[in-house]
Amino acid sequence: MRPRVAVAAGSAIVLFAALGACGKNTGQGTATDNNRTTTGVIATDPKDSMGPAAPVPGATKGGTFYVLRQPKINHLDPQRVYSFAGLSAAPLYSRFLTTWKDDGKGHLTLVGDLATTPGKDVKGDCTTWQFTIKDGVKFEDGSPITSKEIAYGIARSFDPDLTGGPTYLQEWLANTPEYDTAWDFKANKTSLPPGLTTPDAKTLVFTFQKPHCDLPFAASLPFTAPMPPAKDTGVNYDNQPFSSGPYKITKIVPGVQMVLERNTNWDPATDPVRHQYPDSFVWSYGADATAEANRIISDSGPDASAISWDGVPSTLTAAVAGNASLKDRTLLEPTPSANRLTINMQRVTDLSIRQALNYAIDRDDLIKALGGATVASPLTTLMPPATLGYQQYDAYPAGPNGNPEKAKQLLNGRTPELVLGVADDDQDTQIGTQVKNNLEKAGFKITVKTIPQDSKLDETKKKNNPWDLYIDTWGADWPSGASILPPLFDGRTIKDEGNSDTSFMNDSAINAEFDRILAMPPAQQGPEWAKLDKRIMTQDAPAVPLYVDVAFYLHGSKAGGLFIGSVFGYPEFVNAFVKP
Amino acid sequence: MLRFLIRRVLSATLVLFAISVLTFLMFFALPRDPVTSMCPKNCNPARLERVRAELGLSDPLYQQYAGYMKGIVLGRDLNSAEGGHCAAPCLGYSYINSEPVSRTIARVLPVTLSIVIPAAVLWLALGVGLGMVSALRRGSVLDRLAIGFSLTGASLQIYFVGAVLLLVFTYTLHLVPVPHYTSITQNPADWASGLVLAWVTLAFLFSAIYARLSRAQMLETLSEDFIRTARSKGLPKFRVYGQHALRAAITPIVTIAGMDIGGALGGTVVTETTFGIQGLGRTTWDAVREGDLPTLMATVLIAAVFIVVANIVVDIVYAFIDPRVRLG
Repeated sequence: MRPRVAVAAGSAIVLFAALGACGKNTGQGTATDNNRTTTGVIATDPKDSMGPAAPVPGATKGGTFYVLRQPKINHLDPQRVYSFAGLSAAPLYSRFLTTWKDDGKGHLTLVGDLATTPGKDVKGDCTTWQFTIKDGVKFEDGSPITSKEIAYGIARSFDPDLTGGPTYLQEWLANTPEYDTAWDFKANKTSLPPGLTTPDAKTLVFTFQKPHCDLPFAASLPFTAPMPPAKDTGVNYDNQPFSSGPYKITKIVPGVQMVLERNTNWDPATDPVRHQYPDSFVWSYGADATAEANRIISDSGPDASAISWDGVPSTLTAAVAGNASLKDRTLLEPTPSANRLTINMQRVTDLSIRQALNYAIDRDDLIKALGGATVASPLTTLMPPATLGYQQYDAYPAGPNGNPEKAKQLLNGRTPELVLGVADDDQDTQIGTQVKNNLEKAGFKITVKTIPQDSKLDETKKKNNPWDLYIDTWGADWPSGASILPPLFDGRTIKDEGNSDTSFMNDSAINAEFDRILAMPPAQQGPEWAKLDKRIMTQDAPAVPLYVDVAFYLHGSKAGGLFIGSVFGYPEFVNAFVKP
Repeated sequence: MLRFLIRRVLSATLVLFAISVLTFLMFFALPRDPVTSMCPKNCNPARLERVRAELGLSDPLYQQYAGYMKGIVLGRDLNSAEGGHCAAPCLGYSYINSEPVSRTIARVLPVTLSIVIPAAVLWLALGVGLGMVSALRRGSVLDRLAIGFSLTGASLQIYFVGAVLLLVFTYTLHLVPVPHYTSITQNPADWASGLVLAWVTLAFLFSAIYARLSRAQMLETLSEDFIRTARSKGLPKFRVYGQHALRAAITPIVTIAGMDIGGALGGTVVTETTFGIQGLGRTTWDAVREGDLPTLMATVLIAAVFIVVANIVVDIVYAFIDPRVRLG
């Protein structure tokens, strides 16, 4: 035993040194594309919604594609899927009413998935939407998918037992946030919730009491996946989803792995987005981010055709980003997750102070403190670049390092005393320190108060919270300003607790603009949201946009077809293949 | 012997009862409310209360405790949000894993057993063997090496040694596969190769402690009068050391080994996390992280059972190896 230990320790020293050498930045490594923005359209031609999806250059059939991830995906039941991992995995085994055709370069097209188009606004006022179901779409057992199974899937999302999933459709159909009290799924399993009808096996109709022009976007979330009533096992369905996608789940060992194999009843001719290149996908759980990255760098055996879902850990970012030999095996893109310094407008009522805060922030230093370009990318707008219709602007042009002098001018000799609430985790603490330094250079007096990480979100959402400033992150469910600006800044939604408008901004003119834009066809809303974004920042300055998170992933040399999705900012697997 | 066993089992039952009550109360006193994860989005106090009532969490604590205990023995009917009927031994339903906790435990327990038992055999053989030889060759090069080994092992941590072994043998030399668990009944070779790094890590660190302890015990025993008597009687060396000295020296080691093995069976959290293996320890850690109270409660209870049972086993073994201990 003794010699073996000695050899191991000796080798370890050599290898740690080797790893250190890898960390040297050669300057030829990976760079973030900060200019990537998202453009998108809603397909009007049914041909766009038909398959097969365009072949992926160089893709070959066969092999097993591995996804390494530390924790298991929390829910697989499509009606409960809402985590990013779940949203990336679900398209492999489920199909939805609509879906995004994503070219991996920021160009999105919303197309029909199970539906022939992304929906028809029957009356032109977004209150009645009709979807026609495609021919030839089937479940894994070969039985046809009709509007009935899709409607049942939506109906079961009213079941209060099935927590965790998005609630847009339920709330819109029931016309109340308390949808489960408006319609009792368990007592009405053979009927449908109010407003949802299936005139025939090919037609699904949503009738809302209020206009919901975002329905085609919302319908791209997994809760529109079909389900035969006979397969519904309630909460236990999480461990046995019934496939409608190109793969079916053949094995689940919670916390260990999930195996998906080809679904022979999936017809590529009906699917505009997905492929079925690998024979199987294996989601392998357990290893932490560092172990995952080391396995991928090692690139041996099954790990050569794997991606590390948990991204490149901070301890290895310099080593990976600076290693030119790994450049072809990394994915590095800004995501739609936007971080801002929220200003509590109930407490900071003076616009000039809010504007001064915007001038004072040094985004460059902040990003360096967070870990650099592989972690964060600067942001001066409320909406992230990955939003349809996005327009870059900077309402308070202070340069990358801020302009404390301009801020001092606005303060005009005042030294506002503000309380900055930060979560007691590493990242928030780091941002808090940086922000305090920036603001104090500009003449503010900042008191940093920590909030327990577990309760920070709940506490800052309370109307009478005791902080002037806090860090917030927003990741929209679809890349439209409609899912960003109204939730964050519509003052009519302010209540005692659970607010998303954590700036507590309530500007009647802006609220009226929300109503006007929301009533427009979704395809025309993009530029209007961009204009309103700038207007809010200029007129109200309810926050200081800071940065968007950057996705930084590493994959094996045989893993092909991967890209960072423009909708959620995580790896997408619809084009994935294993290189021979 | 039978009376001793009955007495020990009864006292162990009492200890377990006390632990179960304390665990039950402790988790209800925690700040994390299990109901919040079950309440739909836009949860408000009225909805929270409704979910609480549906889950039976508004019932008096003693009633909830009785229901939990009844479930372990007889099974019980849970709410539809908890998967319906839960067969005995029912340890509740995990909202996080979407399955009865007993199913989770049945899956992860063999993993921890597979890590701990072979590792314990290794660390006992290596540690005790090294300690004994070191004591018998006191002052020799071998003794000094053994002391160095034990000092090294005692001052290192599982997450460090594990990471080094992974880096060397798995990521670089590719001699050992990425740690994983395969049932021994399915593929014994894969079972061993998937866990060998965990065994070696545990064995290295634990054996260091046992080597030091065994050496000290043996040295103390060798200076006892009865050893001098045995030697003066002209008994062969192997009988003096193997039969008399070892037997006397090993009793405290058995006690500590029982506690260590019992504790490790309750969950090798760091080992399983370092090697990314989903055993009882990793499951406990996940339950803590995700606020999975039913799973956490079950793993704490199981860990307590292991320690209590290990203590009984130690008492029995102790009685066999040390004639001075009287049973009954």
